[in-house]
Amino acid sequence: MSEAILEVENLVKNYGSTRAVDGISFSVPRGKVVGFLGPNGAGKTTTIQILLGITERSSGSIKYFGEDFFRNRQKSLQRINFASAFNTLLGRISVYENLIVFAGLYQVKNPKKRILELAEYFEIADLLSERYWDISSGQKTRVNLMKSLLNDPELILMDEPTASLDPDIADKTLTLIENLRKSRNLSILYTSHNMDEITRICDEVIFLDHGIIVAQDTPLNLTKRITGAQLRLIFDDHKKELEDFLKEEKYDFSFADEHTVIINTKETLIPKIIFGAGKRNIYITDIEVEKPTLEDVFLQIARKEKNVN
Amino acid sequence: MSISRIKAVLYQEFFVSMRSVEIIMDIIFFPVMTIILFGFLSTYLSGAIGSSIGQRVLMGMLLWDVIFITQYSVSVGSLWNVWSRNLSNMFITPLDIKEYIFAHTLSGSIKSLIVFLITSVISIFVFDFNIFDLGVINLLLYFINLNIFAFAIGVAILGLIFSFGTRIQAFAWGLLPLFQPLTAALYPVSVLPSPLKEMAYIFPPTYIFEAARASFGSTVVHWDLIGMAFATNIVYFVLGVLFFRLMFKKSRESGQFARNES
Repeated sequence: MSEAILEVENLVKNYGSTRAVDGISFSVPRGKVVGFLGPNGAGKTTTIQILLGITERSSGSIKYFGEDFFRNRQKSLQRINFASAFNTLLGRISVYENLIVFAGLYQVKNPKKRILELAEYFEIADLLSERYWDISSGQKTRVNLMKSLLNDPELILMDEPTASLDPDIADKTLTLIENLRKSRNLSILYTSHNMDEITRICDEVIFLDHGIIVAQDTPLNLTKRITGAQLRLIFDDHKKELEDFLKEEKYDFSFADEHTVIINTKETLIPKIIFGAGKRNIYITDIEVEKPTLEDVFLQIARKEKNVN
Repeated sequence: MSISRIKAVLYQEFFVSMRSVEIIMDIIFFPVMTIILFGFLSTYLSGAIGSSIGQRVLMGMLLWDVIFITQYSVSVGSLWNVWSRNLSNMFITPLDIKEYIFAHTLSGSIKSLIVFLITSVISIFVFDFNIFDLGVINLLLYFINLNIFAFAIGVAILGLIFSFGTRIQAFAWGLLPLFQPLTAALYPVSVLPSPLKEMAYIFPPTYIFEAARASFGSTVVHWDLIGMAFATNIVYFVLGVLFFRLMFKKSRESGQFARNES
């Protein structure tokens, strides 16, 4: 088990009589990417704001690097950082001027050199003299990421860093994040509504709903929790025989057309269906299996369906 | 407090001030134009009712601008970060709120000193009025006192904005004029009607404006008035800081501090 960079225990946040975060506990190990998911209003943003010290908790403990965050605020913040598509830098001043301010706030030694190194890495050296509001969304994302690396953090909290980016730039940004994680052994707490992104980069996923952690596992294990799958069979003209067989076995099915049937079943029963059809001399010409994705898990949690274990 | 972080906030203030026409208009253009306006008024009054009245009005305006610029800098300086959704970025660094406020106050004081020097020089050469006749000690004492008051008002307004959001941001530049008639910046307190006359002495700048008028044309220091200004300023400073701390805490508890940018 690797060292925990962030440990959250029994965190509670009340806004008046509303409980936004309800006693959540989790940790982020060194070098791991932990996804932090949930529908709107689940308490993700509040949790992140508390983790960054800009919103007060009601109760609970937060430890960074084994030390209490609230007693060691400055020390902790010196070793972590934050990147979000929703926070921007000052638009009227140049990218370089913005970054030199943050370098000062993090007391970076030799800030000019550090900024130039990072600008080279992110391929935005030519943008340093541009005003921040004059650059594109993709460039802003890279500048924000660059800002979040100025202090060489050990943990970055990322709040939908690819939101509002086109698929190509989003993919490049994700690749950049993956490379950063590998090259610096970075830990990341990553929130996004894009399930493909989460599946791609997260080692572990935490699902939050109504301020409570409702699921926590690897993306693969989470999808395995949904036992259902959708089987689509294309067959020859033995529709009647196939219908009788499926009724006999009490499967949930519907015919899309004269030669296509869609069966909602457990993943483990798929071979049985195919062999069963074969035994009845139904000739299957094509098979498609739609396995559950993280998005299905998300949707089921958001819609409160009960067949997630 | 870290000098490096204070320097970083000062750099930000400098960069933003240099790039924002609004700031240049608000803290340089308007004060300079006001001094020119009051300079001509002073020239007119000199001819009509004797030189010292007009020049006393001009002196009051030169000193009032010190309050205006420092308060503006403390309150509005943070709004640039709020408007740009950058305030959270600042406070997720090791930056402490004390360092942040100190830097904005220092920046405001530097700006007010620069503008005071510019407008004073204009007064000397264009309107034949030399505020430096009051002497360095008087001016230094006035400057310190006016800045403490401006800081207290500025930080209290900033606390309100942090706590109640940008819907009350107009307070940042709109609340101070309330104090201008009450502190008798341009006329003696004796001009005010009875309830306002007593009320005027609640405000530290009243003592400074009275002291400046009493010392007019000389370097005599009116320690009684200066002492009262310092005494009331201590109360304002403590109340301003306590009020800000309370509002800042409230805004972090209610989540308003983070919501200010959304």
